[in-house]
Amino acid sequence: MGRSLTDLAVFVAKRLLFLIPVLFGVIVITFFFTHVAVSNPCAVWFPRAKAAQLAQCAITFGLHQPLYVQFFKYTANLIDGNWGNSPAGVPVLPVIAVALPATLELVLASLVLMVLIGIPLGVVAAQYSGRLGDHLVRIFYLSGWATPTYLGAVVAAILVGPFLGLPTGGEYTSTPPPFAQVTHMSVVDALLAGNLPWAGDAIVHLILPASVLAFVNMGIATRMTRSSMLEVLPLDFVNSARMKGLSEFIVLYKHALRNALISTTTVLGVTAGGLLSGTVVVEEVFAWPGIGSYAFSAITGYNFSGTIGVVIVFAIGVVIANMIADILYGVLDPRVEWR
Amino acid sequence: MGEPVLEVEHLSIDYVVGAGRFHALTDVSLRVDPGRVVGIVGETGCGKSTLARAIPRLLPQPPAEVTGGRIRFLGTDLLSYPAWKLPFVRGTGIGMIFQEPLNSLNPAYRVYDQVAEAIRIRRGRDASPKDVPRSRVEPFDYSRGPPPVSTSSALAHPLTVGGLAARSAERAKSARGATWDEALDFLRLVRINDPETILGLYPHELSGGMRQRIMIAMALSGRPALLIADEPTSALDVTIQAQVLTLMKELIEEVRTSILFITHDLGVVAEMADELGVMYAGHLVEYGPVEEVFHHPRHPYTAALLKSSPRRYKADGALDSIPGAVPNLSRLPTGCSFHPRCVLARPECASDPGPPLVPVGTTPGAPATHLSACLFASDVEAPP
Repeated sequence: MGRSLTDLAVFVAKRLLFLIPVLFGVIVITFFFTHVAVSNPCAVWFPRAKAAQLAQCAITFGLHQPLYVQFFKYTANLIDGNWGNSPAGVPVLPVIAVALPATLELVLASLVLMVLIGIPLGVVAAQYSGRLGDHLVRIFYLSGWATPTYLGAVVAAILVGPFLGLPTGGEYTSTPPPFAQVTHMSVVDALLAGNLPWAGDAIVHLILPASVLAFVNMGIATRMTRSSMLEVLPLDFVNSARMKGLSEFIVLYKHALRNALISTTTVLGVTAGGLLSGTVVVEEVFAWPGIGSYAFSAITGYNFSGTIGVVIVFAIGVVIANMIADILYGVLDPRVEWR
Repeated sequence: MGEPVLEVEHLSIDYVVGAGRFHALTDVSLRVDPGRVVGIVGETGCGKSTLARAIPRLLPQPPAEVTGGRIRFLGTDLLSYPAWKLPFVRGTGIGMIFQEPLNSLNPAYRVYDQVAEAIRIRRGRDASPKDVPRSRVEPFDYSRGPPPVSTSSALAHPLTVGGLAARSAERAKSARGATWDEALDFLRLVRINDPETILGLYPHELSGGMRQRIMIAMALSGRPALLIADEPTSALDVTIQAQVLTLMKELIEEVRTSILFITHDLGVVAEMADELGVMYAGHLVEYGPVEEVFHHPRHPYTAALLKSSPRRYKADGALDSIPGAVPNLSRLPTGCSFHPRCVLARPECASDPGPPLVPVGTTPGAPATHLSACLFASDVEAPP
């Protein structure tokens, strides 16, 4: 165990192996919950079908078999790379493959906002601890924390968006864009095509949904930064940095924050996993063609394969986000070993 | 003597914590002349560290509150100095060494990055001087020390992140050239063998003594006119303490920087300082040339302190101690703060706070620079 690149590779491999039991657990739970809750969804899928057609439907989708048989069939298909179809016959995997990048773009954008706004706010709160600046920051992040995502999203879409003149739906003003969507990340695609006006348009469309996600989830980053800054600031190395003649800005952001970030990173890793599922509401409200709005339509449409597929992707996201946080932990703190 | 480097005049500082008010410093005056070493001794909690941190304005306000006095550095009043200009005084004007070498280096950066930062700041100020008080001392010869030991840090490290860093450090060496060489010089100045390797390490890979040497190198690399050493050896093992003290003594000879040396160890000041101030409960109670204060103490607290420090040739082996305990700074005794513990105390001591520091040169030929704050300074007996 140590800090070499081989240690890092072993660490990543271990974490990825750890994915297997996590995924198995997640699949078992989601599969049985969905299938037990609605044992024969044919009537929901085809409301005007006659009894004979419904019986035929149950046979087509294998719903007449015992649950464990259905489960083994599903799992075997999954291992084969077949994630199943929606009731209308649309394969799940290609849809997810297109929707996931759009969601990742949204999540990354809101992470960037959380890092660029949430962390400096925590530094300011620690700097003015117990004084006006601290209280203002606390009011700001607590109001975000206390806002339910759906409320924040709706308020942003009906009030804030029109007031600021920001678009409140979709990735671009008009679709489809006049270039190939290679990555399915709106800004990246426009930049790859070298189409700056469309890239700008894509960024403007990102602002509101990313801000809502960030505002609602930022509190924990600000709070962690504030409290670990308060632990770091009385340490002598902060004063010895001041005594070199460094400006207060450099002392705070290069010397103190670097050490305070270690615990903030851990929290951000956990939050990033949560952001993925937080997109369900935000994407639905802002008509974002990501995995969140797909999850919403899959669940409300009794699309079992789609639902399980989305949950699998979310689980992978959570594990990977935490793994990245743990890797960063070692990068930030030279005393940490990857194990 | 020339213009003093540092003049502290009637400095008083309170700590305001909730409804409580602690008088950390009361009416403290001292001066450090160019090239002189001034020692400050006193028990824990007597205000030494408050004084050390108040001078470069490191005390957070609140809770600290300056209630009076002035701090003049090279003629500039630091207390009225604009806060945004303070960084320009620190490093190149006033350098500082802290007590805890474990905490005084940033754990996240390699030694080189931390030393280089100080060197670059000084270079920048040399290149474009600002209107701020700076060293008027001739740049000292810092390049002496043991001859360079060449090792390749790339070979010394296997495939580790640290090793990769060391290797990229190697590669970037030509680019950073002068700063790297100067950092090596400063590490050699503090007698570090194999400075090339040490520069590539993180603080947690070094011993306490090594870290304190690097702290000293870092403070000196700004070439400050005044160096404040706040108990630089108290947190170290006794053997390492001796090494660091020897080093500092040698450096005082080599580097003609003025030093304010703060310690609770009388033996240390005796070896280092030219002048000595004794502090008790936030007051400076005696001040004078080191020899004078040691051989002819003119304050009962100094005499008691001398009696209670271990001496090599004491007949019965028992150690004297001062009766009572250090007073609570929020409820100082009336009159002289020391009177409840003082062997010479008389009724008037409980009401009369005593004179401010006044000359007490009673012995013939004694310098007028020997000052005491005791009403009965002439009654104090020197310990045998």
